[in-house]
Amino acid sequence: MKNWSRQIGIRTLATLIALALQAGPAGAQGLAPGEYKVGFITENTGAIASAGQSYWNGAQLAADEVKAQKFLGGASIVLDSKESGSDAARAIQAANQFVADRSVLAVSCCILSAVAGSLKPIVVEAKTPLVIFGATASGLPQPPWVYSMTILPGPKDTATAVKVIDAVKPKTAAYILAADNDAFKGRMNATRTALEAKGVTTAGVVNVLTKDTDFTAAATQAMGLKPDVILVYATQGAAAGAITALKDRGYAKTIVGNDVLSPAPIFKKMGTSVVGVPFPVSFSDAIVETPEAKAFVAAYQAKFSAPPDIYSAQGYQVVWFIAQGLKSISGQPTRESLATALSKISKIDHQVYGGEVMKDGQAETTGTLVVMWNAEGKIVPWTAPK
Amino acid sequence: MELFLEQLINGCAIGSLYAMFGLGFGIVFATLGILNAAHGSYASWAAIAALAAVEQLKLPFIVALPIGVVAGGMLAVLVDQIAFQPLRRRGSEMLGALITSIAFWIILDNLAGTATGQQSLSFPRGSYPGTMFRLGDIPLPAMQVITIAAMLIVTVSLHLLIRHSRFGAAMRAVGWNQTAAALGGVNPRHVVIITAFIAGATSGLAGVLGGITTQNVSFLLGEGLLLKGFAAVVVGGYDDVRGTAIAGVGLGILEVMTSQYLSSGLRDGITYALLLSFLLLRPRGLFGSAGFSRA
Amino acid sequence: MQALGDFWRAYQSTVAFAIVNAFFALSTYAVLSAGILSFATVTYAAMGGFVGARLVLQSGLDPMLLLPAAAGAGALLAYIVALIFLRLESHWMALASLALILITRVVVINVPSVTGGVNGLSLPVKLPLFVLAILLAVAIAVFYRLSVSWFGIASRAVREDPAVASSIGIAPRRIQTIAFVISGAVGGLGGMLLALVLQFLSPDTYFVNIAFTMIAAVVLGGSYHWIGAIIGAAVFTALPVIAQAIVPHFQEVANGIVLLLIMIFLPRGLIDPRAIRLRRAAHGASADAARGAARIVEGKP
Repeated sequence: MKNWSRQIGIRTLATLIALALQAGPAGAQGLAPGEYKVGFITENTGAIASAGQSYWNGAQLAADEVKAQKFLGGASIVLDSKESGSDAARAIQAANQFVADRSVLAVSCCILSAVAGSLKPIVVEAKTPLVIFGATASGLPQPPWVYSMTILPGPKDTATAVKVIDAVKPKTAAYILAADNDAFKGRMNATRTALEAKGVTTAGVVNVLTKDTDFTAAATQAMGLKPDVILVYATQGAAAGAITALKDRGYAKTIVGNDVLSPAPIFKKMGTSVVGVPFPVSFSDAIVETPEAKAFVAAYQAKFSAPPDIYSAQGYQVVWFIAQGLKSISGQPTRESLATALSKISKIDHQVYGGEVMKDGQAETTGTLVVMWNAEGKIVPWTAPK
Repeated sequence: MELFLEQLINGCAIGSLYAMFGLGFGIVFATLGILNAAHGSYASWAAIAALAAVEQLKLPFIVALPIGVVAGGMLAVLVDQIAFQPLRRRGSEMLGALITSIAFWIILDNLAGTATGQQSLSFPRGSYPGTMFRLGDIPLPAMQVITIAAMLIVTVSLHLLIRHSRFGAAMRAVGWNQTAAALGGVNPRHVVIITAFIAGATSGLAGVLGGITTQNVSFLLGEGLLLKGFAAVVVGGYDDVRGTAIAGVGLGILEVMTSQYLSSGLRDGITYALLLSFLLLRPRGLFGSAGFSRA
Repeated sequence: MQALGDFWRAYQSTVAFAIVNAFFALSTYAVLSAGILSFATVTYAAMGGFVGARLVLQSGLDPMLLLPAAAGAGALLAYIVALIFLRLESHWMALASLALILITRVVVINVPSVTGGVNGLSLPVKLPLFVLAILLAVAIAVFYRLSVSWFGIASRAVREDPAVASSIGIAPRRIQTIAFVISGAVGGLGGMLLALVLQFLSPDTYFVNIAFTMIAAVVLGGSYHWIGAIIGAAVFTALPVIAQAIVPHFQEVANGIVLLLIMIFLPRGLIDPRAIRLRRAAHGASADAARGAARIVEGKP
């Protein structure tokens, strides 16, 4: 009970101080100064930890910048992290711990759409805003409580495939699909429909599993279909393995990849086998035009000794999105007022994509960049082979 | 026809990895009576050690491979002495050994994850033999030839060791009854350690070759091999290395052919269904000897 | 007061997971107490979980009404498994149950109409924590009654030595089948409870991670008494949470190390009836000796 009265005492004191500060400079109707906690459910261990680490790094960089640039005046965002290892049970427990902590204003999570789905009822019931950094399922956002800063890869895939076949003009196409990933299945089907409408016959679909490690059989199977172009719709490990296996067995025609090929470690891992493979990218540290993007790349490189990738950008935008919401609040922010503020945002002010908007709680960018790795390990705009 | 042959060779290559891993796993099960859940991590760590030898120490393939193999063997001895030896002294049953092996699996896999920076690493192209032979029109990568050859050499050597050498007799005696073996003049402690080393080294070999051919050096490498090696041991018969080898290669071929001609969704299902059928109908496997237990 | 409320809010899901894990551990204990090591609880849980979730979604009924259906589905599956698997020797049985878990996942992925396939199943229905606690209390009562009944004594005999048990008139196969059915009912119920706590099911929900937690819980808590299963489950659920608070960078390794230390130093688990009996006997013996010595000193006969 001593704790209880001490808590009350501290809170009263804090409120008085806050009121005093507010009543200071005449008419200063801004965000009350203070440290505002955001609960971040990290995925720094487990099978997809390399992506998880990127998201976390991007978020940390953004929090530092918000503070250094005094974007919120005297206030700053503090990130509290709890590791979930991409496990739904741990993520649920972490989310519950965050919403129970009254000083946490918002929660951020999830690479896996299944886990994000599990957390939605928790945050909606606890009336706490949740900003998703990586899950790629559409339909997750639920304003005013659930938002997603993931740049959905689906539409970019189809645009990339169309661009490539317009240049290469193949007659038949084969697909390598991660059969146990529904998101990729949807993406493949959308592209397949578009290509078939353009007169490219589907020679066949070769199924692999995301946890597979050996792709020689799948590559042999795909090559056995004798296609003019092979499109790969699989998660990072599977896509890398499949493309390397195809090149190893001597496939010389066009291969189309997807956004999982963009992070820098992919070139280190795949080497020459990924050179020349086109894929879409919403953000790449090699193709930066705007000053914000250049500053982001430089700062990230300085802080983490590694270049940022699309995952880092998404994590970075999560914190800037929350900051943008906080900035529009006057006085002491609450979870409700933050949620309302976030739901009103339609255009992201500080972003690294050259344009980002929020539509019904889902972040979107315009335009599709089709790029490839060149032999020197740099990402450059894709050009069709002569 | 060509496609069939290509896939047949692919199946043999991947099956050889399963077979080699299964051999190591089976030796531990047959001789030491332990179902070792940590066995997969020996393969992962062997691959990590070999990769480190290639990248950090700039050693050629011919040196890095034995380094990985020895690393796998030594790790197996370490785990055996820390985890299983105290249990042996206490005379615990299989459950205790299984749980302890699970504990080590958790520890080793997580350390492996940290060691690879939570990534799946690859051997740099050029650090391993990359020539592409041709069997008529069929491409035959050098690594596939090496893997199949290694499996054959290891199988034959182990078979000769276990069935036709004094040490092999000592291994089998220790597996049957340690005290009786000791009475017969065998030093069980030495036999156990050497057996653990051989088991770890064999799986380590599978790990290094697997890590190279699948471009995947991470803790997931061992986990994948563990399941398939286990199936090879059950289907082939855990106390006969020839059975395990044949079953392993057969499993690899079955997997590849199922993907090619049926559907890859069924691929794993068929492997597990086969595993279950053997366990239910013929637990001693194709070539195993029927054991018996005293009342 | 608020601090207490916050603490409760933060850790109530941990308590819920601990109760669910207790069900899985009890299900494993049920067959272990009859001498069989089987991981098939995971399959019963998948059966109960998916069947229960589907029924809730289709019928819209209160999940409490459908809990018996989940338990029943699990029990039925366990009966079938018993018919097929009980012919096997002990270590083959363990391996076969492992293979069963692998096959379960493949089946789950390939029957999307029931299980939602790869996408999983969303279950926006909740069960209050006190209901979970009441169900656990019921399970405790059941296990207690079983352990002091004829069935309990018979299963202990079968576990010790099936040949001797059959020679004194106990049919090991029948006892073990009953144990399987109990295990199936408890496992199926636990599976549905897990579905209601997670509110989302995926093919990985009922897979090897549950298998390890439950077997570790039983061994840690003590595989010779049903209360060991519950205590082991509680410890094993709390362990990752504690590890995260103390050593966030090494929490998984810490879990493995704790498990290892327990296996080395407390191989029979925390609750070991034999050790308790021996201690009591020693205590009784030394108390008797002390009383005897006191009488001599006082000069009494």
